[in-house]
Amino acid sequence: MRRSLGLILPVLLLVGWEVAAAVIDNPFILPSMATVIPVLLHPAEDILGTGSLLYNAFVSLTRVAFGFLVAVSIAVPLGIGMGWSRTLDAFLDTTIQLLRPIPPLAWGPLAIAWFAVGIYSMGFIIFLGAFFPVLLNTIDGVKGLKRTWVEVAQTLGASERQVLGKVVLPGAAPTIWTGFRVGFGVAWMCVVAAEWLPGTTSGLGYLTLYAYNFGQMNIIIAGMITIGVIGIVFDFLFRSVEDRFFRWRGLER
Amino acid sequence: MNGIKLLLLGCLAALLVAAACTTPQATGDVDILYTKGTGPMPTLLATKQIDGYIAWQPFVEVAPVAHIGKVITYSGDLPPDDRWKNHPCCVLAARTDLMARNPGLVDALSAATILSTRYITDHPEESAEIVADWLAGKGNFTYGNVTVSSVDVLNRAFPTVKFVNEPTEQWMAGQVEFIYALRELKALTGSLANSSETESRALLFDTGPYGRATTMIEGGSITMPPVEEKPVGIGYLLSDHDASLFVAVKKWQYFNDTYGLALRPLDPKATRPDTVDLLVNGVKVAELKLIPGDAGPQLMQLAATNTVQFAYVGNPPVISAVDKGTPVKILMALNTEGSGVVVVTDAPATDWDSFVRWAKERSAAGKPVRMAAPGKGSIQDVMLRYALEESGLSIREVQA
Repeated sequence: MRRSLGLILPVLLLVGWEVAAAVIDNPFILPSMATVIPVLLHPAEDILGTGSLLYNAFVSLTRVAFGFLVAVSIAVPLGIGMGWSRTLDAFLDTTIQLLRPIPPLAWGPLAIAWFAVGIYSMGFIIFLGAFFPVLLNTIDGVKGLKRTWVEVAQTLGASERQVLGKVVLPGAAPTIWTGFRVGFGVAWMCVVAAEWLPGTTSGLGYLTLYAYNFGQMNIIIAGMITIGVIGIVFDFLFRSVEDRFFRWRGLER
Repeated sequence: MNGIKLLLLGCLAALLVAAACTTPQATGDVDILYTKGTGPMPTLLATKQIDGYIAWQPFVEVAPVAHIGKVITYSGDLPPDDRWKNHPCCVLAARTDLMARNPGLVDALSAATILSTRYITDHPEESAEIVADWLAGKGNFTYGNVTVSSVDVLNRAFPTVKFVNEPTEQWMAGQVEFIYALRELKALTGSLANSSETESRALLFDTGPYGRATTMIEGGSITMPPVEEKPVGIGYLLSDHDASLFVAVKKWQYFNDTYGLALRPLDPKATRPDTVDLLVNGVKVAELKLIPGDAGPQLMQLAATNTVQFAYVGNPPVISAVDKGTPVKILMALNTEGSGVVVVTDAPATDWDSFVRWAKERSAAGKPVRMAAPGKGSIQDVMLRYALEESGLSIREVQA
């Protein structure tokens, strides 16, 4: 019931779009979905010699997975460290707050110079997108732990290693997972920026840019819709895990 | 605030009119909008945000095909008379360190480019189809409600591009003209900012590879260069101007069988192969990475960081790169001409002269014609500026 409620607005938007397109009657301002839907209905068909929607979506997903996993593997340990140690937090916080507002796209020229054309420079842009949400959520998760949990474990004679592994990490896991969810969303957003780097020849971001070079609005819109749909699917997956494993967060009081 | 601006403009106009009594002066303005490439131009034209544009092919043909505009002139016919006949456009450029280290490789790629250009001249229709395949997988372009085959668009565009390689005296003089134009735009601050014509030419050109390549071709045998261990990067533009690269790769079997010199794609089924082997007499002498760029400046950045060692690119970006100290030189032409001016369908202009009349009327009415160009200092921008000035119009950059 609640899910079907969420579907009403997208359908209305689609209808509204078509009505507006008919009224405005200038396909350059608002192209009719009649030019977009055929592109979406043939996801396995080649587009402008750039491969199919499915192929490009797969390529983009592998790139995002790469950048995201690297971000997670650095941000989680670092975040636990910063949440646990005030000294480390004080030492790193200014730098991180300084770097955080820089849009990943702005790193493009440097990414190319440092990591060369290809997966590593793209991965770097995606990494930057995912890194900060994961890091900040991890820090918050650790800092927000109930002091009593840690103190109980310490009183019972747990070593620092045991405290971190058995209390801090599982205790902060729900917040860290929220960081994953947000981080993956931002990483997915960044894939377009990453694939606009020179030398790229595939991916949904590249496909939209390539279509833009030729002013192909219908393909751009189809690409945007595909990016949105994949985004919502992954958000749903992350949420399902959250509901299944981390429901206790709201219940522990 | 706007009132003051208008008043000032009015005074300025009055001064200009007064000055016009003694010397010929501009009698109107044309607004110029830079769109960072050609992609947005059809949309901007169709939504009346611009009255016209100057672009490279095939974007000139897109306007009439999509029923949003008409071509008033191709670039070779822009005024002054014959000034832009055979004007320089895309060139083959190479990094000087590679040229010093492995000159034979540079000669071989130059020869492959020359042979491909000759093939294009002899087989224009097949070549147009190859370009349509490379750029769009021979698919359709959709503009507004109009869907057209990319092959048709390319076939329309092809006859307006001249595919030639020879670095002639006239061609080099044309390139030097661009140095002067870029100086006027204050775009040169380095080695080419104050150089004499002789110095400029020495900094910009190395026609040695062209000479040796033609000698090899006439002699009927291609010399084997030393084998390159690391892949060589080649940047190119997604434009029919770079057709010689696309045809060389797609027709590699023909060139291999006929001349013993070929660019064999690793994946022969790929629409836009990104890895090709340079074969000389059947032997792989280098692996080439083909890297497409959206615009010349981006390719020159890749050349500056040694990501690419060759570039099929427009000449102004190379001039700017040489000025900034990037170790590249121009080896030869890839094409001349191949751009054009488009205006909205209902504009009262059918050729350059009626365009100028229209622009002057609009300027006098306080609503100057607004034209788009791909980028400041681009070939198209420079030509449009010169042509407008020649016709008594001056340019105002749209600020945003």
